[in-house]
Amino acid sequence: MKSALIVVAGIAAGLALQGCISSSADSGYFGKTDPPPGQVFRYISGPEVQSLDPPVGTGQNEGRVYMALYEGLVIYDPKTMGAYPGIAEKWDINADFTEFTFHLRKTARFSNGDPITAEDFVWSLRRGLDPKFAAEYAYIAYPILNAEGYNSGGSFVRDKVTGQFELEPATHTRRFVTSDAKPEPGKEFVPIRAEDVGVQAVDPATVRYTMTQPSPYFLGMMAHQFFVVVHRKTIEKYGNANWVLPKNIVTSGPFHLTQWVPYDRIVALKDPMYWDAANVRLEEIRFYPAEDSTTMMNLYKAGAVDALPNHCVPLPWNDFIRPLKDYMDAPEEGNFYLQINITRAPMNDIRVRKAFSLSLNREAMAKFRRIAKPLSAFIPNGIYPGYPAVNGDSFDPKRAKQLLAEAGYGDASGNFDPSKFPIDKVEFTFNTVDPWRQVAELLQSQWKQNLGITVSLKGMETRTFFTSRNKLEYQGLSRSGWFGDYMDPYTFLSLFQTPTGNNGTGWWEKSYVDKLDDANRTRDPAERFRKLAVAEQQLLESGAVIPVWVTSTDWMKKPYAKGMYPNPGSMYAWKFVYIEHDPAKWNDPAPEAKP
Amino acid sequence: MLRFVVRRLLSTIPMVLIVVSLTWGLIRLAPGSFYTNEKALPPAIEQNLRAKYGLDKPWYVQYERMIANTVRLDFGTSLKYEGQSVNAILWRAFPVSAMVGLLAYSLLLLVGITSGLFAAVRHNSKWDYASMTLSMLGISIPTFVLGPILVLSFSLGLYWFPPARWDGFATRSAVLPVLTLSVIYMAYIARLTRSGMLEVLRSDYIRTARAKGLSEPAIVLKHAFRGGIIPVVSLTGPALAGLITGTVVVERIFVLPGLGTYFINANLNRDEPLILGIVAFISITILVCNLLVDIAYAYIDPRIRY
Repeated sequence: MKSALIVVAGIAAGLALQGCISSSADSGYFGKTDPPPGQVFRYISGPEVQSLDPPVGTGQNEGRVYMALYEGLVIYDPKTMGAYPGIAEKWDINADFTEFTFHLRKTARFSNGDPITAEDFVWSLRRGLDPKFAAEYAYIAYPILNAEGYNSGGSFVRDKVTGQFELEPATHTRRFVTSDAKPEPGKEFVPIRAEDVGVQAVDPATVRYTMTQPSPYFLGMMAHQFFVVVHRKTIEKYGNANWVLPKNIVTSGPFHLTQWVPYDRIVALKDPMYWDAANVRLEEIRFYPAEDSTTMMNLYKAGAVDALPNHCVPLPWNDFIRPLKDYMDAPEEGNFYLQINITRAPMNDIRVRKAFSLSLNREAMAKFRRIAKPLSAFIPNGIYPGYPAVNGDSFDPKRAKQLLAEAGYGDASGNFDPSKFPIDKVEFTFNTVDPWRQVAELLQSQWKQNLGITVSLKGMETRTFFTSRNKLEYQGLSRSGWFGDYMDPYTFLSLFQTPTGNNGTGWWEKSYVDKLDDANRTRDPAERFRKLAVAEQQLLESGAVIPVWVTSTDWMKKPYAKGMYPNPGSMYAWKFVYIEHDPAKWNDPAPEAKP
Repeated sequence: MLRFVVRRLLSTIPMVLIVVSLTWGLIRLAPGSFYTNEKALPPAIEQNLRAKYGLDKPWYVQYERMIANTVRLDFGTSLKYEGQSVNAILWRAFPVSAMVGLLAYSLLLLVGITSGLFAAVRHNSKWDYASMTLSMLGISIPTFVLGPILVLSFSLGLYWFPPARWDGFATRSAVLPVLTLSVIYMAYIARLTRSGMLEVLRSDYIRTARAKGLSEPAIVLKHAFRGGIIPVVSLTGPALAGLITGTVVVERIFVLPGLGTYFINANLNRDEPLILGIVAFISITILVCNLLVDIAYAYIDPRIRY
């Protein structure tokens, strides 16, 4: 009996090993490389989409599906993620970056054949900002004049006698107050309407966006899903809940929806009405939702899908997968950093915060994570061409101990004494999702090794963790990371523009905000970057954040999947993607797309 | 009998209400909300969302609305999946879970009972030892280990079956999830059948039957089987309920769009209406399955009367 069992186990293990090694080692690819027949692309789209209504879905998983179904004035450049002409064929920006004027293609149509006009863009933005619609990502449009006021149900303040509106001193735009405020005597509140939002159809083919203050980053932001155009008549006819159903939906992108089975598949076919349909090569895209990374890898290996979402390779597999030719490794617009609650002792002392930063060996940590490179600055290095290199803390445990001794945790001879450090007041809080448990242990060992302090680890369920971090309920340090919303350093630096929200540190300086505003008013891009870098330096000097590493993209695509590039935000313009059936051409670059 | 059934069915109403109330309270204890994310929302947007879903109302208003919804068996719309009604989600997800569950259930009854019966009749033989060793193995290997092993061998080694995803009832995609799901219960049932049968086979009425000269198949199948199967029946009720309402692990490994997948994500997403809808649905299913078991007792064992 025993021997029979051993035989069975042996066969299973043998099969598994054979499956694991042979196919990959022979070809240099992971698993099967037979292209599917025709031009049908199968992509694992990550978690199930919240909705197919573009301003509703907030994640990149939704964004990638929307990029097939909808289009905005600009789209993400397939290689650089910068602004690439979409429904707008060209645009003008005024001298101080407060007015962006887009000229629409005359040939742009919705999937039902209706022309796409400037009015459609105006209506789509107003809809997304409607407080009753309650779009989670509406704040991305807040740089637009009065967008924040309208979205938060606010009012302008008007003098009853003169009829003059009160203005913001810094921007000379109308001041607004939130709905729960009471007017002072002699003043009245004028509710902000959708028409007050800074978007305007100059003529059917021209739409203009007006900003509250200079916003050079706005163009890059416009490719975001929040700004795509939706079909007014369809939405008004079927309502917000039902217009996205396959039988009702009207779309604006290169593909139109034919099937949507939640948690199973989203199928989109090439749309003949699309303005650039002649250059769209895929006939069909199938998005398969899945969340378990091992399952994704299995489906990919068996040839059931053609590409995987970013960060899908489990950490223990990385050494095996990394050398393969179908692994996509490129710089990414994302960082991993620690936030410090500076409102509680002992972390209210900048020397202590600096000591925790100086005692991290970032080289060793990045090596452990494999898909990361050490980062001492806050902004991922090398992503934004022309952005100056900012240097943060290097690895210097000696200096770290010295700082702790100076902070009052030293013995009689002035050396740091770990036993004097209030270790019960400092913990590292993180969400217990792969790979943060391992990373937390690594951080713990770094501080143990270099400072002699054992920081306790506190793992929490994801949403519990975010709540605790953003409300400053944690003590000591917490895990944090950021993936840019658009290709500009401002997407990182603006995190600390407000004292709350994504800023879970308790650190906030007016001078920092002034530096950012000043930089954004600067016309010359190099000068603007230099000014932003000064603000970044100030953030690093505050010691409220400890940057650790910058990540790389971490996904796979079959060699026959062409026109899909590992760009910094892992967003793919599907219109350029196609399946190459001739293995001889797999290593050739895809033909350059022309806007 | 009819009175018993009616009484039991009526008693499910307060039971379900208690279960959903407890769940409702527990959801409120969990920090975070359906909109809590790595990227925090400005307070104004949080306010818009709370107003849109009535979460800005006092707790007793929200509780009252929830109870009224439960009584009408209409759980409202999901918070996470904008505009999708919970009932529509249930009716879409349940058939998938139920199909996989029923297939697994039939398989486990067939294999489990047959091998258990065989082991009992051929007590202490090679067959007995073999099937009991295998069933011990089945009980000890958790599904999250068995699933990947099956995938590794049959999907990635031999490429016989797809490694994941659901193509429908009578397709190759059903084989591995059904197998993974049924093995553990199959093993339990084999062992329960064997011990139940062994006990009955030693009882006086079987000895009487043998003394009367009845044939061995008649003794085993007609007389012993009905008594020996009772412990199995009490297990199969909850097992059926558990199998058809979806299992989180198997549905996740094989990416099945079933109730288990929705349930785990609804909890992680703090999607209150969806959590309550699924909890109510599962409670009703369990209560009904238990009732079916009790009715089955009466038919199988003449000593049981209601």
